[in-house]
Amino acid sequence: MDVNYVGENLLPGQIGQFFVILSFGAALLSFASYFFATKNPEEKSWQNIARVGFWLNALSILIIGMVLFYIIYNHLFEYHYAYAHSSTTLPTHYIISAFWEGQEGSFWLWMFWQVVMGIVLVFKAKSWENPVMTFVMLCQVFLASMLLGVEVFGSRIGSSPFILLRDALQAPIFSDPNYLSMIRDGRGLNPLLQNYWMVIHPPTLFLGFAAMIVPFAYAAAGLWQKRFKEWITPGLPWALFAVMVLGAGIIMGSFWAYEALNFGGFWAWDPVENVSIIPWLTLIAAVHVMIAYKHTGHAYFTACFLSLISFVLVIYASFLTRSGILGETSVHSFTSLGMSGQLVIFNVAFLLIMIFLLVVRRKEMPSTKIEEDIYSREFWLFIGALVLTVACVQMIATTSIPVFNAIFGTNVAPPIDPIPHYNKWQGAFAVVVMLLTAFTQFLKFKRTDAKKFWAATIASFVLAIVISAVIIYFTHIYTNVMYMLITLTSVFCILANLRILGDSFKGKWRLSGSAVSHIGFGLLLIGALIAAATNEVISVNSSNYIAVAGFDQVEKPGENLFLTENEPVQMGKYRITYVGDSVAAPNVYYKIKYEEINEETGEAKNAFILMPFAQNNPDMGGLIGTPGTKHFLTHDIYTLITAAASDSHKSIQGNDEDAAGFDQYDEPATYLVNIGDTLRYRNGFYTIEGINRNATLENMPVAADDILVGLQIKVFASDGTQHSAEPVFLIKGGNTFDFHKDVEAQGLRFRFTKILPEENKLELMTYQKPLPEKKWVVFKAIKFPYINFFWYGTIVMTVGFGMAIYRRIKDGRATSKRNA
Amino acid sequence: MKKSSIILIVVIAVAIAMIMVIYTDSSTYSTFTEAKGKQTELYVVGVLNKEKDLLYDPVTDANHFSFYMYDNDSTECQVVFNGSKPQDIERSEQIVLTGKMEGDVFHASKILMKCPSKYNQDEVEVIEMESTPVTASLN
Repeated sequence: MDVNYVGENLLPGQIGQFFVILSFGAALLSFASYFFATKNPEEKSWQNIARVGFWLNALSILIIGMVLFYIIYNHLFEYHYAYAHSSTTLPTHYIISAFWEGQEGSFWLWMFWQVVMGIVLVFKAKSWENPVMTFVMLCQVFLASMLLGVEVFGSRIGSSPFILLRDALQAPIFSDPNYLSMIRDGRGLNPLLQNYWMVIHPPTLFLGFAAMIVPFAYAAAGLWQKRFKEWITPGLPWALFAVMVLGAGIIMGSFWAYEALNFGGFWAWDPVENVSIIPWLTLIAAVHVMIAYKHTGHAYFTACFLSLISFVLVIYASFLTRSGILGETSVHSFTSLGMSGQLVIFNVAFLLIMIFLLVVRRKEMPSTKIEEDIYSREFWLFIGALVLTVACVQMIATTSIPVFNAIFGTNVAPPIDPIPHYNKWQGAFAVVVMLLTAFTQFLKFKRTDAKKFWAATIASFVLAIVISAVIIYFTHIYTNVMYMLITLTSVFCILANLRILGDSFKGKWRLSGSAVSHIGFGLLLIGALIAAATNEVISVNSSNYIAVAGFDQVEKPGENLFLTENEPVQMGKYRITYVGDSVAAPNVYYKIKYEEINEETGEAKNAFILMPFAQNNPDMGGLIGTPGTKHFLTHDIYTLITAAASDSHKSIQGNDEDAAGFDQYDEPATYLVNIGDTLRYRNGFYTIEGINRNATLENMPVAADDILVGLQIKVFASDGTQHSAEPVFLIKGGNTFDFHKDVEAQGLRFRFTKILPEENKLELMTYQKPLPEKKWVVFKAIKFPYINFFWYGTIVMTVGFGMAIYRRIKDGRATSKRNA
Repeated sequence: MKKSSIILIVVIAVAIAMIMVIYTDSSTYSTFTEAKGKQTELYVVGVLNKEKDLLYDPVTDANHFSFYMYDNDSTECQVVFNGSKPQDIERSEQIVLTGKMEGDVFHASKILMKCPSKYNQDEVEVIEMESTPVTASLN
């Protein structure tokens, strides 16, 4: 079918597609050349070609990004990506979120960060450049292939962001050459993603994912080039960087979930969350074992294995979230773009590289015959890494149930209630990990004086018991042993690391980075625990529940509260009023006023207004609420609209009923009136002021023998406002017409329908709109105590990682100087 | 005994425990008929009966929502959910319920819906298709 389409702007897509192909070719060239450059180090030309390939790849990726942004920013809906992820009403800053809403955009983001890593490596890696970049560029080849969107031997490879709408979808409108003018707007961005955290969370997360290739590449290069010991020093700051960024990215996602999603929490053990935290934990384990190896020469295999497997798990994560395999087990995963095969190959390729290198080099790897001393730091670092790994295995096993189903054809459902399932395991692992993080601080590498160790440990532990007892008492978590143990060990960990931090002020600053990040992690865990364990729904609706002992089955009272506009409801210590709503298309903001009531005086204090909002987007699945949260120092109050009267939303969508119709009015009342009469209506009264014989009508020429009379009416509403209206009566060429007038504010419509000269009466018909339904909302409010620890702990931890990176880079420079 | 062997034994013990817990915690997707025989919470997958009314009146009770659903064996059953009505349930093409049977009524504690519009690319196009001719005639 050859159709000359009108109005399409095809050039950006062609440019984009060209650079998509070029980025793939350049990455392939660069990978192969780096490989040969590593094999033949004396031939400089290989490295030069490889670098040319790398820079070409970098340039292509930059241009792809710019073209794609141009397409979305200018709303070129002839491109499927712009149509599927944005709309003209989308504010500019969310255009950025729209950019990476789709899989193609997020692959681009990954590649972009990998290029940034690559630039640093090309300039800084020196003798490591060739082997390390070989692996980075191999990964880049796989990622670039995801965007190709070309057919090879009948199967499509990748999915291009530049595919045209008429190619992506089969629909009859595309046979019309002018189809573009019929597409009013794109489908828009999922309202849940219209949140400022969605602008910053994906880039951070993908920077973390992309950074994890570097420790992999260093570990693999170390094995490949038999530079077994050397790779740890340059690899360590990279691993710390990846852990820092990925950790921050994950918590940002958690903050987004808390601020924007409506499940009422910050962590739900959703598969998507699990698969991002697993590589984070394994790489943290890797970092610790790498340090142990650096100092003592123990645990080389473990350090390599964990660095390598972390990146394989990153690919596994992207396979799970992007292949659609999670299906109904996850609330938020991408749908399949039909690339699961490609993702499997990507995953298996890196897994095989890992296995191959570890197997081939198993004999040559450095190892120690003597066992670690039990009073040594390296022994417990190793145990800690092992515990983290086992914790990850538990998460992977449960998260992968859909994968097992797909492989073995079974139909096992994941645990009914995933949160307790994960909590009981991960809680126990957390206790062990925190305990290790605490007392290992008092151990030295190789050999420690047992007496000194026990003295320091017991002193801190006793203090930890006292402090945690206070915390447990005030937060009321004494009913659960696991909660108490986590609190105790976290406090212990914080205290032990505070001691190290104290020492660092006395000059041993080298360990301050690890101490700060351990403290941050301890705070994070305490915050998460208290907020998750003691959050309470405060919008409890017990009014419909009458407890009759032994008769009624005890049902938990509902968590949603019904509020009518301006009718306060007492909820716990708050008096809550729905004061009204305001519309900022496409959102409706509901103003919920909270007042704390002093029980003795009855006075309201600490009043605040929360503005949760909701967007009614039929394309995205109805009313989608976004919570409003008030942050206090010790707790948060979280409010979410779960249902609302639909009026406010209707006005946004602009499908108001025809203003001329009479359907929306009640049955009219017909009166015979005289000038000076007063009549009542539902909301006040109106008077007949007089007759206007000089009435005129727009667009209606009046002939000499036509009669055109207006009836002047004044409306006095009960709220004190006054309105006037003048319905018109017309006799034209023997026929009678009348023209009604509305008083919209009062829902009134007047018709001057007849003049009865013999009775000296005028006929007036009055229409009234039915009373508007009172506005209402159904909402849910949750109190999260001490959740701030969770966020502040994250910040502290990130700062600590930053300090550790600084130290390790400095160490690395010192080592290379010594070697030179 | 060497320390490494002790560690190995501990790890293996924990691993066995984990597998057993995953096995006992994991569930199956079942039907209303099966749910009647069991007292435990389970998953039921099915589709909404769009012919019958969805009952949700927030004015009387904001926490009571009931509807009828067909499971995968096409058995129909009334479902009661102790909460507010999920907004897009009318449009759902598949529903996964978590809950248990009490008498002849299924009490759901969680409702997970698969909606065609959210991500599925082609379904929305149909909606777009229906609305386009109107615009075209106005132009």
